Amino acid sequence: MRNGAEILKLGTLTITWWCIIFGAVWIACYLVGVALPMMLSSYDSDMARMTAETLKALTPILSVLVFIPINAMFMVLIERRALAIFTVRLGPNRVGPDGYLQTAADAVKLLFKEDITPHGADAFMFTLAPIVFFAPSIFGAMPLLAAVTNYHELFQIVNLPTGIFFILAASSVPVVGIVMGGWASNNKYSLVGGLRSAAQAISYEIPLVLSLVTICLLAGSLDVVQIAKQQSGGILNWNILGGGALRGLDAALALKFSNSAASLQQLSAMSPEQVIKSSYVEPTMAALGLAAGQESMATIIAVIAVLVLIGATFIAYGLYMTGACAEINRIPFDLPEAESELVSGYNTEYSGIKFAIFFLAEFTNLFIVASIAAVMFLGGGDCPVPAWLGNALGGPQLASVINQVLNPLIQIKLVDPPTLFAAIWVILKVYSIVFFAVLIRGTLPRFRIDQLMDFGWKRLIPLSLIVFLLVVFAREFVNVHVGS
Amino acid sequence: MEQFEMLKTWAETNVESVMFYILATISIPLAYGVILDRAIIRSGFILIGVFGSICGFFLLLQAQFLALAQLMIYAVGITLVIVIALMLTNPRMEKAQLSTASPANQLGAFMVAVGLFMTIYLSVRPENWTLSSEPLDTANVEVLGRALTTDYSLPFEFASVLLLAALIGAVMLAKADKPPKPGEDDYEYSVVDDGPTAGDARPEKEPVASGR
Repeated sequence: MRNGAEILKLGTLTITWWCIIFGAVWIACYLVGVALPMMLSSYDSDMARMTAETLKALTPILSVLVFIPINAMFMVLIERRALAIFTVRLGPNRVGPDGYLQTAADAVKLLFKEDITPHGADAFMFTLAPIVFFAPSIFGAMPLLAAVTNYHELFQIVNLPTGIFFILAASSVPVVGIVMGGWASNNKYSLVGGLRSAAQAISYEIPLVLSLVTICLLAGSLDVVQIAKQQSGGILNWNILGGGALRGLDAALALKFSNSAASLQQLSAMSPEQVIKSSYVEPTMAALGLAAGQESMATIIAVIAVLVLIGATFIAYGLYMTGACAEINRIPFDLPEAESELVSGYNTEYSGIKFAIFFLAEFTNLFIVASIAAVMFLGGGDCPVPAWLGNALGGPQLASVINQVLNPLIQIKLVDPPTLFAAIWVILKVYSIVFFAVLIRGTLPRFRIDQLMDFGWKRLIPLSLIVFLLVVFAREFVNVHVGS
Repeated sequence: MEQFEMLKTWAETNVESVMFYILATISIPLAYGVILDRAIIRSGFILIGVFGSICGFFLLLQAQFLALAQLMIYAVGITLVIVIALMLTNPRMEKAQLSTASPANQLGAFMVAVGLFMTIYLSVRPENWTLSSEPLDTANVEVLGRALTTDYSLPFEFASVLLLAALIGAVMLAKADKPPKPGEDDYEYSVVDDGPTAGDARPEKEPVASGR
């Protein structure tokens, strides 16, 4: 641990910036969604009521608009500092206390730079491209807000029955912006960058969507709130571990370790072995139409099906992360802006505010794909420790202490405990994935374009189809999230 | 309070038509833009806008799934492929030198346009529509999926066969063929090197890009 001090600094920086980002978002949401409507409710007039409703409806949009710029600043900073640690350098540490304000200074610099439109460029398209690139990341992430805040009443408005499909559709739009910017720049390198980006996005969208379809198949829903809710109750219920295939095991363990689990009332009459039998062996026997004497065969098939499901969902997670990396043009898939070949790819000619928007959108997209992964695979706002283990470790005592500390804030509705805890878990999960993406960036070299296409079409797409088929068959023998 | 109620009822009855006219005023000029713009790549991008506003119409009809599929497949996927094909076939991006067509061609084009319009109008005119007052199913994705895999499974499979044929055709067109060796003519080359069956599958001599 020779660089322990640097890692500690990185940790302090992360926590400080998290407080800044989420403090700002939280206070903005509180002011607009709770405090102002409460003040307005003292006036009994139509105007006041309408204003209050409008303010409440605007809260999700406002939270995103506050969040995106600050978050992008933080993510650029953490990326540079983390990469510096991986490559044994110091990283930006001069502006502000220990470099905390480096990216804020960069942002101000970018805003004041001259906005140049190159000679011979299609000026209208040139201006439109950053907007088309950025706008979907604002409205595309909306349904996720409902899922990550544990369906808070202010964010219920943004939930959609076709949630995950909406997010996917919105996240497929930015590639148009890249192609548009590449073409409108009147520059060979930009054009090649744009074309590469389009080819890449079209090929890697298939494994990405298929892996999410696999999860939707296990969940029986496209609604992100419902998918997040199904996974509540600890890591064994998460979609990454079989999409609910381990729920029976979870229930049996809960019975074994604590008999007072309130949510398991209906099962408390059974022994753990009976729970295992009723949730694994019996569905398999029903599915195969086996007679009463063939339990051992049903057990073997059930075990195989559960293992297949766990393996398949784990691979689906890997496929999703790979596809997402390619979709948002991160290293090792950053061919559209490969510095050593294409100067800077599609954004070569951009400067000033337009370049800033490209930059902002890129990091926002990274955050969005990480939150999709957190909601679809890692249980959304769910605590990874199951309730039966948490109770044994003193979870309720901790929760009551926290509740007591926060009580004054809960009274004025600044804090809503379910939302707060969900948000904290989501933040931890999402930034872990972001950090993993940075680690990948520091580790892997860039693909060549033909390797990229081979990898996409010959490896990932067949693999995702195999995973899909395995899940279709294996879920017949096991109880998964569907229908629960 | 009364004012508020009035506003609410007005919004409930009219918001749909207001939104419809807004979308119409966006999509019709964009559709004209597609055919009138001289830079053909720009027409491709405008086409994305047209498909996007059509996606808005589907949303207005509460067909969320259809709207999103429209956005994902037509607006982004297919139009992007068209734009890329245009970029690759016209790499210097010069504005195409369009000349006005001869009067005979203009007349022919007009006749075709009228014919097409009449066909489409006669098939979708609203007189024979039966309007249902049933409330919309909230789980309309589920209904759609069930219909596609039970009642309409045969058309669905035909569509996938069509796509498969298109895929194989694209592979055939894009397959790199070995350049003929100097001093040998094309016919001999195919007989000598590829065996007797290669003659049938041999692509035309002109470059693939212009052949498309």
